[in-house]
Formats: sequence, C-alpha cells, structure tokens
Amino acid sequence: MSAPKAGSKAGLIAEYGSMDSTRDAIAALREAGFEKLEIYSPIPAPELEEAMGIYHSPVRLWALIGGITGCTLGFLLPTGASLAYPLVTQGKPIVSIPPFIVVMFELTVLLTGIFALFSMLVHARRPKLTLPSSYRREFSVDRWGILVTTDPQQQAEAERVLNETGPLTVEVTP
Amino acid sequence: MATLAHDVDGTRRRRNPLPTLADANEDISRPILVPSWRYAAVLSVAIAGVLLGGTAWAYQIYRGIGVAGINHPVGWGLYITLFVFWVGIAHSGTLISAILYLFRSGWRTTINRAAEAMTIFAVMTAGLFPLIHLGRVWYAYWLFPYPSQRMIWPDFRSPLVLDVFAVSTYFTVSLIFWYTGLIPDLAALRDKFSGWKSKLYGSLSLGWTGSIREWTHYRRAYLYLAGISTPLVLSVHSVVSWDFALSIVPGWHSTIFAPYFVAGAIFSGVAMVITLMVGLRFAFGLEDYLTEYHFENMAKLLLLTSLIVGYAYAVEYFLAYYSADPIEQESFLWRAQGAYQGPFWIMVFCNVIIPANLWFKKIRRSIPALFVISIFVNIGMFYERFVIIVSSLAHEYVPSGWGLYTPSWVEIAILIGAFCWFYMWFLIFAKMLPTISIAEVKEHLEHGKEHGHAEARAGHPGEFE
Repeated sequence: MSAPKAGSKAGLIAEYGSMDSTRDAIAALREAGFEKLEIYSPIPAPELEEAMGIYHSPVRLWALIGGITGCTLGFLLPTGASLAYPLVTQGKPIVSIPPFIVVMFELTVLLTGIFALFSMLVHARRPKLTLPSSYRREFSVDRWGILVTTDPQQQAEAERVLNETGPLTVEVTP
Repeated sequence: MATLAHDVDGTRRRRNPLPTLADANEDISRPILVPSWRYAAVLSVAIAGVLLGGTAWAYQIYRGIGVAGINHPVGWGLYITLFVFWVGIAHSGTLISAILYLFRSGWRTTINRAAEAMTIFAVMTAGLFPLIHLGRVWYAYWLFPYPSQRMIWPDFRSPLVLDVFAVSTYFTVSLIFWYTGLIPDLAALRDKFSGWKSKLYGSLSLGWTGSIREWTHYRRAYLYLAGISTPLVLSVHSVVSWDFALSIVPGWHSTIFAPYFVAGAIFSGVAMVITLMVGLRFAFGLEDYLTEYHFENMAKLLLLTSLIVGYAYAVEYFLAYYSADPIEQESFLWRAQGAYQGPFWIMVFCNVIIPANLWFKKIRRSIPALFVISIFVNIGMFYERFVIIVSSLAHEYVPSGWGLYTPSWVEIAILIGAFCWFYMWFLIFAKMLPTISIAEVKEHLEHGKEHGHAEARAGHPGEFE
C-alpha cells in the first residue's frame, strides 16, 4: 500500500461480498464520522440508500413536470389544430374534448417517460466516458464497494474502521 | 432441489445450491457475441424472409396498391389484420415488465427482458403496416400534425390520428423502459469483455458504475416508467379498437371492443412470449433461470385471458341478439356460417378449446405441450383479427354492397416477411444483449441468500420484496 501524496485527498476503496456486510460497514463508517462515501453495488440497493440516508430523488419532480407539460401540450395541439383548420366532421364541435383526451393522455405518458429518463441521467451524472479510478470490474458482478475519501491524516483511522467491518480487500486509490 | 425455482418432477438436473451472483452473470452473458453456425443459419432464413417481404412491398409501391387483394367493399385486409395482430403481440411484454413489476410478482424477473424486447420488435413490425397499407407510402407524413403551408391539420376527432399518437408513444416509452432496464446489464457486459466489445457495451451503458446515487435515481425512474406504462398498454389497444368501434360497420360498432381487444392482445402476447421463451431456453441452456415455475405462471395468464376472450366472443353474439337489429344479427350469423366460417371456427378452436387444456396442472408444467398450445394461440389470434376485420366489411348493410376478399400473393409474401422481420430482430437481440435481466436475477439471488433460501425452496423465488 503506497502512501498518498501530501496535501491531496486520499481515497480508500474496500470490497465486500454481500449487501449486509456493506450496509454494516456504511453504518460503522458514518458512526466514526466519515461522511464522504461512495458506494458501488451490482444490484439495486434500497437498503444501502437507507444506510446512506438518501430517501428522495428529484426524478420524481421531473417526471411530474414532464407529465404536466405533456398534458398541456396534448390539449393545446389538437385544440389549436382544430381551430386553425375548422372543419365540422361527424357533426361534432370543433373543439371536441373526448377524443382530445386520448392525445392528452398519450403526450402525458410520452413526456413523463422522456423526462424520467433524462432527469435520471442528469442527476446520476451520466453519460460519462471514463470510469472512476476507484471502480473495479467486480462491482458489476458480485462485489460491493465503499470508497472513503478522507484527509490524509485521517486515512489510518478510516482504514482501521474499514478493517473492522470485514472487507475482502482494502486498497488506496488516487 | 434448491434452485432458482421449485422443480416438482425433478426431471432436469439443476445447480444445487442456488447459482451464485457470478454464475448468473456468466450463464446469462455466455451466448453473447459468440458465433455459431446454427445461429447464422436461422438468422439467414429470417433475413431471406425479410428480403422476400421487402421485394413484395417494393413491387406494390412500383405497381400500386392494386396488386394487393384489398378492394371495395373489403378495403381493410391482411395489412390491417397484421397491424392489429402485431400491436396485440406487443402488449404482454409491457404487461409482464410493468404491471407485474408494480405488483412485485417475482416470477417476471427472468422473463421481462425478452418480453420487452418482443414488445419493441412487435411494435416495429406493426408500425410498418399502416405504411404498407397506405399504398402511396411517401405521403405517410400526412398522418402527423405538422404546420403545413396551407395550414391543413389532421382531424383529431378521427381514431386513425389518435392511433398515430398511441402507437408512437407506445414505441418510444417501451424503448425507454427497455433501455433503462438494460443499462446496468450493459455495464456488466462492459466489465466482462475487453477490447472493442468492452468499448461497445461501455458506451451503450453510458458509463454506468452502479454507485448508490445512480441506483437511487435509476430506481425512481424505473418505477415511474413502470407506472406510466401500465395505463399506456391498456390505452393503446383501446385506441386501436376504436379504429373499428367508431365506425358504423355491423360487427364493429360495439362498446365491448376496447376491453375485448386488450384481453385478446395480452392473450396473443403471452402465447408469443411462451413460444420465444421455449426457444431461448432450449438454445441458450437457461434451464436454471427459466423453469417450469415460470412457464406455469405464464400458462395461468394464458388460461385467464383465454377465458376472457371466450367470454367476449359469447357476449358479442348476445349483444347482437339483444340489439334487436336485424343487420347486426345477420352479420354475426354470417360470421359463423358464411364464406368466412373456416377462419371463424379456427379462431374458436385455437383460442377457446385448445387453451382449455391448461386447466390441467400437468399440461401447464409441460414445456413441449405449452409450446404447442402457444403456437395454436398465435394462429388463433391471427384469425381472430382477420375474422373481425374482413368478415364485418364483406357483409355490410346492402346485399349489393357485399363482396369477398382473398389475399393476393403480394400480401402473403409481406405476411411471411413480417414474421421473419420480427424474428430477425429477436435473433439479433438474443445474440447482442442479455436475454434475462442480469441485475434483477442477481437481486433475487442476493435476497434469497440472505433469507436462507426459504422462499426459493417453497417455489416462490420472487416474493422476497
């Protein structure tokens, strides 16, 4: 294990073999005052989100905004088009609400979906061309990872806490 | 015994104990990008079929729509039949991926990826048919509301315009849903491969690392996509059914059409999922993941929707009788006794009588039997669309306006081409992407491990959530 350069923030990356041990390790690290953590998980991990104290995602709000935008557009488009080219068909009013509801519904769904996808990407900071140096190939297979970023002087303490949580490996990462 | 799912007869040797997370990763991604001459042979057959259909379409564009059998009075023939059929096939993919996700039905885990892929390819096939049916395909853009110089806009009171919105939304949202589900698996493939393959999957995975922040937003997005796909799937085939129900053609003008079409869509789609899954399981050796348990659940869904469809057939006749409208009554009697009685009775036989076998547990758990039944249902549902569309148009109000329809060779060639087009995409998908969601299978294995295999042994591998 090489010593980190003086003055730079040091990172320790620990590997775990199960979700439970990762969760316990997160709790231990946060207990010891290490809050700058990055967790890698091969599977969706609501337990780990909870351990990290993350409960909300702004994707929810964006999906709602997308839905409202879509619904509004879905009303304005057929209404505007019908008024711009007023032609009575089937003896129905020019602005016939019931068939327009279908367009409103479809555009609501369409924009909710598009907003959900793109807000997810933006908030997750994707797409990215390079992987972080702390990333290991195993993190997409069957290993969980915790990256602890600390001041150099606290690194020994972080390593001690990490080693107590039963990791498979602990390494220093630039 | 303790495998991903419970195996009653124990005829097949499975891994004991449960596959590990690394096993799942390896088993599912094993066939990806591995060349095989068998695969190449099957794919070439599909491509040949696509070329046949494409040639027929090119010929139709060159000579004009007159080379197809559709004419007065049957203006909607095989093309619209196939459009409705393929949109229907698409539906069960969304049902399995979205509705069963919201219900936390764990058994969908191993099926949903391929079912969603099927949805996308089926909509891609369906979307071709309005274009083929147009004849002058270069005017297809008239369907869309665009600001033209003459300020002519489409009639938004017409279900045909609503259909454009429904089907294109359905395609886009299904694609987004499918792709979102694929992102973690693409990252797993990136890490498995090296060189250009790793670069390819790495760029498709958008640099996914599986960090907790990514998962938080990802889980949210996936949930909302499932949530909006659920009403969407019900709306799409309803809108398709209104293409018929909003007209005054006897046999079409009925309020039962929307639920009737949706049930039929899910019925045909589940049958297609079974057909494809048996193929995948056989070709890729996925017995550990696609077990009798999963097939039995799909068989139950097939049985349920078969009953709904059978009920709808009966209610249609009752409504015709109860309407006291002689034209409506004549139309339905003619359907069962007239020139198209062959397709009608094939439809009843394949959709109501054959699936009744699924009441027997032995048949539900026999994969060869299910495969055969699913083929029957595919055929039956094709005939259902044909019977509804053609037999209604052929026998409208005035006897002088009656007439029969026979598909021409161009339409038959395009039919063959459409099936080959669908299978071609599915084959390409099966070789390029994981046919089972790796991340979700691992999620279930991990939860199963922590819960001491109890649920896995009890045969409910998914219900940990």
